[in-house]
Amino acid sequence: MTAAVEFRNIRKAYQQNVVLRDLSLTIEQGSFTVIYGPPACGKSLLLRLLAGLEKPDKGHIFLSGEDVTGLSPEKRNLGYVPQSFALYPHYRVYDNIAYPLTLAGASKAVIRPTVEHAAAALKISHLLKKYPNQLSGGEKQRVAIARGIVKDTKIFILDDPLTGLDFKLREQLFEDLRQMKTDLAATFIYTTSDTLEALMLAEQIKILDQGGIVEAGDLEAVYSHPQHIRTMALLGFPEANILPGRLYKEGDCVRLKTDIFDLPIYLDPSSADFADGMLVHVALRPQDVRINPRQANGILVKKAEITLVEDLGGEMVGYIDVDSMSLRAVIGQGAGELVEGASTIGIHPDALALYALETGRRVELGAR
Amino acid sequence: MSEIRLVNLRKEFKELVAIRDITITFPTATVTCLLGPSGCGKTTLMRIIAGLEQPSSGEIYFDNELVNDLSPSERNIGMVFQYPVVYRGMDVYRNIELPLLQNSRISKAERKARIESVIETLDLTHAVGKDISTLDNGTRQKIAVARAVARQPRIILFDEPITNVDVNSKVQLKRALKKLVKQHSQTIIYVTHDQTEAMTLADDIVLMQAGEIVQHGTPREIYDYPNNRFGGWFLGNPGMNFVEHQVQHNDGAKYLSEPLFRQPVQVTGLNGHRQVLVGIRPERVRVQYERTPFAIPGTILKRSIVVGGQHLLTIKVDGQTIKAKVPPDAIFDEQTHVWVECPLEHITLFEPEGRWFEAGLSYVD
Repeated sequence: MTAAVEFRNIRKAYQQNVVLRDLSLTIEQGSFTVIYGPPACGKSLLLRLLAGLEKPDKGHIFLSGEDVTGLSPEKRNLGYVPQSFALYPHYRVYDNIAYPLTLAGASKAVIRPTVEHAAAALKISHLLKKYPNQLSGGEKQRVAIARGIVKDTKIFILDDPLTGLDFKLREQLFEDLRQMKTDLAATFIYTTSDTLEALMLAEQIKILDQGGIVEAGDLEAVYSHPQHIRTMALLGFPEANILPGRLYKEGDCVRLKTDIFDLPIYLDPSSADFADGMLVHVALRPQDVRINPRQANGILVKKAEITLVEDLGGEMVGYIDVDSMSLRAVIGQGAGELVEGASTIGIHPDALALYALETGRRVELGAR
Repeated sequence: MSEIRLVNLRKEFKELVAIRDITITFPTATVTCLLGPSGCGKTTLMRIIAGLEQPSSGEIYFDNELVNDLSPSERNIGMVFQYPVVYRGMDVYRNIELPLLQNSRISKAERKARIESVIETLDLTHAVGKDISTLDNGTRQKIAVARAVARQPRIILFDEPITNVDVNSKVQLKRALKKLVKQHSQTIIYVTHDQTEAMTLADDIVLMQAGEIVQHGTPREIYDYPNNRFGGWFLGNPGMNFVEHQVQHNDGAKYLSEPLFRQPVQVTGLNGHRQVLVGIRPERVRVQYERTPFAIPGTILKRSIVVGGQHLLTIKVDGQTIKAKVPPDAIFDEQTHVWVECPLEHITLFEPEGRWFEAGLSYVD
């Protein structure tokens, strides 16, 4: 199947500032693909390049197999919801949504049902006669999204469209957006720097960082077994714990030393991934930090001080001092209790993920 | 420390009623969070207490003293705003000291002791001699907090003080605020739209919607026993499930059955309601592959990863969809059939209009 979108060897710089360096990625037809990365990593730029609002210095962009690198924006058949949406203040909601169709010269007979359908999908049918200044922030955002999806196309790009909305409003829109993708049988390309939003929306995820895609794939696979330290650091809430560590050989074994523990790990010392004394990032997800664990084989138990407990209602997040390090832990409903004060924590070596400091790539450990 | 009492407080801006006849007491030496979505009136309420806004009608008392006509400075209140207010061109120590110098009753030694104490609690030692302009937003906000606290006013008002600081400073400020509260026992009102902040910092939460108080209680009361549908929805990520049920009659007793209950559930205290909303939080819904006596069959439509690697399942049961949150290690695949149980002890009943009512639920023997 032809990819819906392909970026091939894209470079884009502003004077000395290289934002995208030799970036390549493909987006599957019919997928909900989230391009996720920290603020100012070039996500918006990527979408602006796709929309034709910016030109790459190098490289090519393909839409459904066709090279559109040289095409002007209006010749690229895309629905686009920009990050800062400006509604026309003197137009009613209806005319704001209809605008891209009017611009394309569509007839009234086409415009009316299309606008009404988009408004229904976004639950704003009752607002069509209002003016933008009569709307709340969340309603305006829905109008902007509706305007982006009226185009008769199969590819929609949404540039962080929910940013600034409070979480409850965003929560409602997550489902609407996913439903819209299914109803329109289209490809959605969506950028965000919010980890929970990325997790809720993505079927496919592309992690964009430092000018390139560090990792891409099916969301659950990427989340559960990140291949790159940046993925581990960026994707997940609360954020993963990452400690500096060092691998060294002792007899036939490899051991891992950090500021809070020193333990044997299952890594073949003759493996190409291993060098004696190599430095690593040691990652541990907050849900894998055990609180007041029972002593058991293989679990490392440490004295700790829980300095703050946040109550999320259905979960608790703890901030914990262990020796000189600070760790985050999270527990769900019924999975025990977090209380501020002295405590013990447990770490199971199998829960640790190691990444070479030099390359950021994962060092695969053998099974026990 | 002071008790704050508002009586029939109302605020109108032209046609808009921002505060609708609120009567409430904020007890002395407690932290109360005003929580609600934007536009609910929480900031207006705080500004009226501060004296920055005059009410359209109603009274404001601090310890039985009517303060309506007192200016903000006469009210002896400390305030911390969303954006840190600091004096540029002065170092950190001077910033905290400045308001104390205006009060001649504070001795030099006392001044020093107060400043050193807040500097320690807020972990500002490393910043003491530094010029404000070299510091990041989070540190500046800590200074603003330190200044408000060191003055030891009878009341401190916080208006979304950690909304605009980075993640690490957020954690540090939360930790410091909790410590300060223990040390000083001032009456604190804290405005936020963030439920986690409110649940973490508050002794009491006042949940607001459209200019009215929806509920006033401890964080766990508000979360576990919402007194209307709005509270159940607003707190929690995602909020509570609500499923409509018709009340059924049999032999003079009243029952609930489908869609959520496989065995009829006898219900008392209905007060004539023929229809009710059954509320249950996603983390309280039990999902399993094995059939159990009280479970109903369902199909998993969607699985998402949420906080702490837990899975949020969207499950179709008898024509309805409900959400369930399950632990990270629970493996439920999309499009598989599961058994879903809603334990009675975690169910809250609401009237069709959304008000909570006290009902008794029990399975029939």
